[in-house]
Amino acid sequence: MEENKEKTIKVYIMGKEHQVPEGLTIMKAIEYAGYKLVRGAGCRAGFCGACATVYRKANEYKLRVALACQTLAEDGMYLTEIPFVPANKAKYELEKIKPSPNIILQYYPEVARCVACNTCTKSCPQDLKVMDYIQAMKRGDIARAAELSFDCVQCGLCAARCPAEIVHYHAAQLARRLYGKYLAKPSPNLEKRIKEIEEGKYDEEIKRLKSMGLEEMKKRYMEQQKNAEKEEA
Amino acid sequence: MEMIRGYPDYMRESIEMVAKTREARAKETMRRLTLEERDEVLKNFHPDYKPDAKAEIRIGRSKGEKAPKEVVELLEAMPLIDESDVNLNQIDFDVDILIIGGGGAGTVAALWAYYSGVPIENILMCTKLRHGDANTMMAQGGIQAADRPEDSPAIHYLDVLGGGHFTNNPDLVEKLVMEAPKIIKWHEQLGVMYDKDENGNFIEISGGGTSRFRMHSAKDYTGMEIMRVLRDEFRNLGMRVLEFTSAVELLTDGNEVTGAVLFNMETKQYYVVRAKAVILATGGFGRLHIMGFPTTNHYGATGDGLVLAYRTGARLVDMDSVQYHPTGAAFPEPIVGLLITEKVRGLGAQVVNKYGKQFVFPLEPRDVEAASIIKECYSTENYVVTPTGLRGVWLDSPLIELLRGEGTVVKSLGAMYRMFHRFGIDMSQDPILTFPTLHYQNGGVAINVNAETDVKGLFACGEVAGGVHGKNRLMGNSLLDVNVFGKIAGISAAKYVKHKKSKGKLTLAHLDRYMKELKEAGIKSEKRAPMLLPDYRGKAVLSRKLDIVV
Amino acid sequence: MDIPYFPGCSLKSNTRYFEDSAREFFAELGINLVELPEWNCCGTVYSLTTDDIMRHIASVRNLVHAQELGKKLGTNKLMTLCAMCYNTLAQVNALARSRPDDLKTANEFIDDLPDYEAQVEVVHALSFLNENVSFEKVAKLAKRKLNGLRVAPYYGCLLVRPEHVKIDDREKPALMPKLFGLLGATVVDFPYSVECCGSYHTVNMKDVVVEKTRTIIGSARENGADAIVLSCPLCEFNLDERQKDVRMKYPGFERMPVFYFTELLALAMGKKINMGAHYVSPENVLKKYGLV
Repeated sequence: MEENKEKTIKVYIMGKEHQVPEGLTIMKAIEYAGYKLVRGAGCRAGFCGACATVYRKANEYKLRVALACQTLAEDGMYLTEIPFVPANKAKYELEKIKPSPNIILQYYPEVARCVACNTCTKSCPQDLKVMDYIQAMKRGDIARAAELSFDCVQCGLCAARCPAEIVHYHAAQLARRLYGKYLAKPSPNLEKRIKEIEEGKYDEEIKRLKSMGLEEMKKRYMEQQKNAEKEEA
Repeated sequence: MEMIRGYPDYMRESIEMVAKTREARAKETMRRLTLEERDEVLKNFHPDYKPDAKAEIRIGRSKGEKAPKEVVELLEAMPLIDESDVNLNQIDFDVDILIIGGGGAGTVAALWAYYSGVPIENILMCTKLRHGDANTMMAQGGIQAADRPEDSPAIHYLDVLGGGHFTNNPDLVEKLVMEAPKIIKWHEQLGVMYDKDENGNFIEISGGGTSRFRMHSAKDYTGMEIMRVLRDEFRNLGMRVLEFTSAVELLTDGNEVTGAVLFNMETKQYYVVRAKAVILATGGFGRLHIMGFPTTNHYGATGDGLVLAYRTGARLVDMDSVQYHPTGAAFPEPIVGLLITEKVRGLGAQVVNKYGKQFVFPLEPRDVEAASIIKECYSTENYVVTPTGLRGVWLDSPLIELLRGEGTVVKSLGAMYRMFHRFGIDMSQDPILTFPTLHYQNGGVAINVNAETDVKGLFACGEVAGGVHGKNRLMGNSLLDVNVFGKIAGISAAKYVKHKKSKGKLTLAHLDRYMKELKEAGIKSEKRAPMLLPDYRGKAVLSRKLDIVV
Repeated sequence: MDIPYFPGCSLKSNTRYFEDSAREFFAELGINLVELPEWNCCGTVYSLTTDDIMRHIASVRNLVHAQELGKKLGTNKLMTLCAMCYNTLAQVNALARSRPDDLKTANEFIDDLPDYEAQVEVVHALSFLNENVSFEKVAKLAKRKLNGLRVAPYYGCLLVRPEHVKIDDREKPALMPKLFGLLGATVVDFPYSVECCGSYHTVNMKDVVVEKTRTIIGSARENGADAIVLSCPLCEFNLDERQKDVRMKYPGFERMPVFYFTELLALAMGKKINMGAHYVSPENVLKKYGLV
């Protein structure tokens, strides 16, 4: 057995002490300790919220949050993953609703209970201004709620800790879809292009390309690449 | 070793050089490689061409073809179950369509099957992790669609073909590019928040190997934004998904696919599903760590769908080609291998070596770009070494601020900025270190323009399917692929089940055939497949493990 | 002149015209309402508890934002337009000043903002105009007279109760009468000026509000008024939109337009107001007095 001269640190996983090498992420530390994760690992890259973790640092009273896959394990960390939060999601037919100022309160009335305690913001591993987007919803500012909540990975920690039982990330999803569908303008080019395709404008050219010989295709391709659109300097 | 703004002090010298050359480089454009030059660098430096990278598949429909040896091991491995393990007479779910895989392709397929008239209770999706835990969620840079007047599906078509070394299935490429604008329109209607200007025009940028700006993105969370919306719509409709439930074997009546055996990974219970049609949307194989590379893929990307389909007699195409994303993170250690989106280069960042010098056009097609970076790191001394011995080159992200204004990085690359900021690095001020990482399965299960595999009753879409991208996929075409072929699979399967009056017999007869083939080929494998999840447990603990059931 | 300004939720969603008309008016006086860079809902009703510190956090946060902005602008005032926001913020401010221990707890809880030093002065726009500008000056700057518009100032509860935050006399309030008198309106006194509009009963006991509105509007009309002027979005909703429900129950009920005080001020400055934002259209009444 190769002698392990690596420096090790002590981490407490759900209360149990483990010695793990320094330099591992929390997720890798949990796996090093012998856990094969079924719940608690998703994309392993900070995009899916599967590995939301709550922890304390040694000798501190503060509760901190992190994504296990994107955070280094530290000596004395006292941690657990929270792989699931039972937050209720409202059902709606986006086609049938309007982006009126009170629409989000209609589907998520508990948003009105926000007392601005800011616990949700402190519980966000993405450092989003969660309370601010809830407040934006409260005053009917869908655009601001969509903007502030955009980077949300829906890990659920905000909803888990909110004293008003708000389900922030589900409400934010509604805000964003409302924005994308009703508040952002539709693309003028898209309609035109779809019509052209349906009218068969490109059929001939594609047919020609499909039946082209390899050498001719290569030539055309290299020319197309050479004449590629460039950024204006 | 002192750390200065996230980097060890010894790297600062190189970073200074990159900063010094930045202003001059802002006006510099590298020449693109000719087709011959592309082939040259690929042959000499792309991991696919290493002599021991591939093995020959010895059984099945694609016998004789080459594939990465890690994949061949699974294709020739022992099944997880046999007839004695399961009672196929007790059917747990009896549906029209079973969708295996809960990522982009699977969700799109489910929605379009519903739109095509299949009742919700007759559609069942299963996924080995949570709904949405997939490579789709992690896709960053964009989705291609030729919707600008200066662009056309024909130009897109040729780009796709050229990027794929002209080995793509032309019919599939035609579908991909012609359906693209409709997919974007559908997304608009669903409320996807693409980057737009105040008039509603999409902000479209360039991608590797694209000759027009046609990358639609939502900051650098494009996949996440699309996946969130698709998943929300799926949930609004009350569609059914079984999470933490893998498919461990398909079921056939000897010829056609008639269902699957699912495995609840938490309770260890198995479910027998009878289905008129099965749609495979199982995604990629990054967690096989081909050639020992780290990967950008999610935890469950273990190529299960390939194994399942292959055993029923499906054909595979282009398995000899693996996509290594040119820019995986190379430092710091905790994020090694994670994706640095191509959008960073699309916005203007250049790839430079230790001395701050460009050595390759930043937006070559991915295989060429990756090979060029490997070339710089392994046939020259112009690379940077990390404290753990990895080699890399710089991606000059601060150049983006110079070209497009201060604040662009934070605004347009929020995910990337955040990823590095968590480790003390400000990528708007300092360049980031990069090296290729295992990223995408270019080939896969062969499908036709209706997303049908060679096996009746079995459809496939998304990364698990092959033929769309040929030997190399372009940026932004995977998000497009999962939508276009997910939609086609959903519609196609819906049509198929409408005409199918009876449901088939559920047997593992195809397994008998498979085992026979293994025996005849003299293959005795210790491995079992599908893999379901990779094992990252510490060796120390594993060496002291007891198999006691509690 | 710059003054920190707290809009409140309603003025940003359902009653934008209250703020819009205020901005138009104050611009004529050279006063810039600087919206707090960050703010949250004042908390309204639940912030009126006295023993639940958590319910005051929302208001204290706003007071901290006002404090910090005020330091930059060289003032300790925070202006509000909405009577409910005024009342809530003023009451919490009073608690913060009279209960230093509770304030300390609140400050310790809000660990992401500077401590609240309890020095902000919450002012309602009417008080501000009276004390810092003077109604006479407003009248002098007016571009037109209100041509004898017969208007009944309605105060409701929150501008005159409780005692320690009121901005005007609670038996016979004088601010709006004086202001609009100087601007050339005919101010109508009526007995229900400080009567509660029914407030949040409008949500689940609509009939309470229907009766109140009938009484209040009816009384104003009896005393000769053609319009109501007020300062609270909830009162406005109850007295304006709910006239529809009054007419359904009492078909003979005659409608009366309801103005935010800032709308009349904007009119006096020669500005146009947003007619369409009202439920009961003020067009006919304004035409009658040549104010269109």
